[in-house]
Parts: sequence; structure tokens; C-alpha cells
Amino acid sequence: MDTDQAPFLTTSTQGIDMIEGDITLPSNRTNSNELSTLDEPVLDTIKRDLGAVFRKFGYAVIPRHSSTLLQQWDLWGPLILVTTLAILLQSNATKSSAGAQFAEVFTLMLIGSIAVTVNSQLLGGKISFFQSVCVLGYCLLPLLLSAFVNNILLYIPTKSTISILHIIRFLVVMAAYAWTMYASVQFLGQTQQPNRRMLVLYPIFLFYFLIAWLIILHAHPK
Amino acid sequence: MMFSNDGFLTDKTSSSNSGQTHVFTSFPNSAVDPDDEHFGNQSSDTDKLVLPLPATATDAKPEQSYVWQIEYYQKYFQIDTQQVLERLAASVTPRPNKSYFDSTIRQNPDLYGPFWVCITFIVTVGISGNIVNYFHLPDVEFQIDFSRITLSAILVCLYWWLMPTFIYFFFRWRLNRIEYTFLELLCLYGYSLAIFIPVSVLWIIPINWLQWTLTFIASLVSGSVLVVTFWPTINSDHKRLSAISMLVVLLAHLLMAVCIMFVFFHISDSNINPKSVTTLATTTLSSMSTLTATTTTTATITPKTA
Repeated sequence: MDTDQAPFLTTSTQGIDMIEGDITLPSNRTNSNELSTLDEPVLDTIKRDLGAVFRKFGYAVIPRHSSTLLQQWDLWGPLILVTTLAILLQSNATKSSAGAQFAEVFTLMLIGSIAVTVNSQLLGGKISFFQSVCVLGYCLLPLLLSAFVNNILLYIPTKSTISILHIIRFLVVMAAYAWTMYASVQFLGQTQQPNRRMLVLYPIFLFYFLIAWLIILHAHPK
Repeated sequence: MMFSNDGFLTDKTSSSNSGQTHVFTSFPNSAVDPDDEHFGNQSSDTDKLVLPLPATATDAKPEQSYVWQIEYYQKYFQIDTQQVLERLAASVTPRPNKSYFDSTIRQNPDLYGPFWVCITFIVTVGISGNIVNYFHLPDVEFQIDFSRITLSAILVCLYWWLMPTFIYFFFRWRLNRIEYTFLELLCLYGYSLAIFIPVSVLWIIPINWLQWTLTFIASLVSGSVLVVTFWPTINSDHKRLSAISMLVVLLAHLLMAVCIMFVFFHISDSNINPKSVTTLATTTLSSMSTLTATTTTTATITPKTA
């Protein structure tokens, strides 16, 4: 035992070259981000993520050719938008039905996204479920803005049932609906072959129409 | 495990090869580096593709897809926009000599059209019913009543699935012929609901005779398309049985339209409470379902006596 272990325990002078060095990857930004995001201050993380979310809002509002929305999807934007929309839409509800109305918007959003995504996948589109939910949620921003505008316009007092304000509110929601459709057509229409594009876009049309209808309903309290 | 001469802890079997370099000769495709300059010279030559393709591209047999994968259901959705529009147009034009079924659906039954026609029908009925409530009933809140929409959704989807089931089993057991697969029947019935979508928008107009006229015309047109499709198959049997069964198909179509109209749109002289309309609709539904059950049983009994 001792003789076996002796060469190990004594310092070796038999010409083993000691190799020293550092193992580092060639530094590009993403690698250093991946390695060091754990140590950075929380404010930096929040700023970076919020910046990504707002940048995606920008892409959804002014549709440009970019792969950011599809490839770096995240669900923060849809969550914020749907929650805000649900709170806005139940502000004139009675006490008992408020919770149910809040849940209705969420359920509609969820089931609608699932139906649209499964439909586009079944027709052969190359888009994953979360990418599609991300795009559908971000493109909801114009409709949310129209709900805000409608809420503000509701405070202007009016006497008759069908007044010019009703028509203005209806037109505002319709304009926002057209904007939303244009934005989502830019993103989701490209993922499909041209001879099936209308088949994929029609459920998206129905989905946003239902949400626009909910917003219009909210603008006409009796 | 023992200590070798170098002082490293090795396995006994490999201690003899401790001085050699190992050369790997068999390696997976992914280990080939496309940037390797050995392959760079030949990359312009397209005949000899030295970069090995991934395994699935050269796989000759199709991958087996399972029930829980999307690809399993893709075969029901092989359809283009043009074909869907053709089938929608053909579902409202009954042509006695040329069956649109043979020319359009038989080669390629799909589930896209029927499903989205049903959903659109439910959506338009819900929205139009909402508008009717807003204009004609003074004390109803202008909110979407999800209970009635759920009722109509269940009614329409049940109709879309139950009628093909009845007809399929009727053909199979009564006539002993499987002329139409279940998928083709589903497709047929789904497209036959397409005419009710513009009709449901027109149902908003609160004129009583107009609503009834629309109901009759729409269910006659789409029912006749169904009858024309089934007629060649069923004509070979007893005349009385074939007539009764076609009548049952027409009546079921009419019944569905009338139920939708009553639940959502019917304006009568008295002030209709929405809750009572819903209970009325459910009681008529249950009574009508027992009635159709008795008519089908009598239809099966009478040929034995005839």
C-alpha cells in the first residue's frame, strides 16, 4: 500500500508540466448577461424587463417587421392588459355581479386565445401556443385605450338615449378594433400559407369583435 | 480503482492505454461542425451534400402521431379558403340533379367549416338577442346574459352532433349501408347551419310575420339541401319510410330554428320576461324531444307491419 501510494503523496518531479490557465467563454453580451443576472441589482432586472415589455407594446401599436414579439415572447403584457380591461369593464356593475363580470373577460380572453391558437396550429401554422397568446394579448392595447377614452367620455352628461356621444364612442371602439386587427394581421398572418390565411384570420376577427362588443356594451349603461 | 504510475486514479482496465490518445470514429450527426474548414471547400458543391441532414428529413415513412398530438387532428383540417367558400355557397343552393356533396365534401371532409359556422351562429345569435333586449324590453340591463348564450350554444352544438349520429345509426342498422361516414355527415350538418347566420341578424327586426317567414324559408332551403343529399341513398327503401325520415330531417331543422327564435327574438304582445322565455324553451325542448323519439320509434315499427 505504501509503495503504491508513495508516488502520489510525494511531490512529482518527473516532468509533468503544470498547465495553468483560465477557462472563459468569448464574451458577448448575452453570455455575460446569463452569467451575471443573478448578481445584478433588482432595479436593473426590473428596468430591463419593463423595457422589453414597453418595447413590445410599441411594436404592437405601430406594427413593424420585427421578430421581437414572436421570438422573445413574454406574458407580462397580456396579463397587464387583460387585468386592466377587466377592471375597466366592471366599474359600473352591481355588487353581486362584479366578480362574475371580471371573470367573464378573463375567461373570454383565455378561451379565445386557446381557440385561435389551436385553430392556426391545426391548419398547419408554425407558431407555438405562447407566441400566439403573446401576440394576441399585446395587440389588445388599442382596444384598451378605446375603453379608457369611453370611460372618460361617460362622465359628460347627456340627456337622450341615442346621442352624438354614443355614436362617438361606437366609432372610437370600431377604430380601435380596426387598428387591433391590422396589427395582429401583420404578425399572425405571416405565419400561414397564403391560401389559408383568411381561414386563420377569421377566428381572430371574431375574438376581437367579441371584446369590442363587451367594450361597447359597457359604454351604454341604462 | 487504483493509482497508476502517473499518480492518477484510474480504472484497472484502462491503465494500459493511459498513454494513448483515443480517436472516436463513430459519432452522432450533430457533432459535425458545419464551420469546419474541411467541409468549407465542398459546401458549394450541391451534389455531394457533406453536411449530414437531420434524421427526420430523410425518413421515408411518416411519423406516427398520437391522439394527444396536434398532428393527429391536422388531417381533418386540410382545406383552403376557396374550398370553404365553395362549400358555404353550395350549402344554400339545393340542386336536385347534382349533389354538391359528391363534388365538394366527399373527397375532403373537414371540421374547420362546421365548427366555425356553429361558433359564428352562436355569437351572432347572442349579439342580436342582446340588441333586441336593449330596444324592446325597458327594464332589462344591457349586459350579456351568459346563461342564455350557454343555452343556445348547447342547443346548437347538440343539434350539430346528434342529428348526424341518428342518421349514421339509422343508415347503418336500418338500411344496412354505410354510405356516409360520420365525418361527412358532421360536415354536411355543420355547413347547413350557415344560412342561419344572416337570418339571425335579420331576426332583430321586430315584425312577427317577418320572423316566422324567415324561419320557414331558411330551414326549408337548408333542409332541402340535406334532403337532396340523402335522397339517392334512402330512395331504395320503402317509400313510406323514406318519406317519413326525410320529413323528420326537415322537421328537426325547423324545430331548431324555431327554438332559437323563441328563446332570443320572439316579440309577442305581452311583455316577455326573459326567465319565463328560457323555461318555456326548455319545456318545449323536452316535450319535442320525446315527440321525435316516439316518431322515430313509430317509423321503425310501421315498416314491419307494412
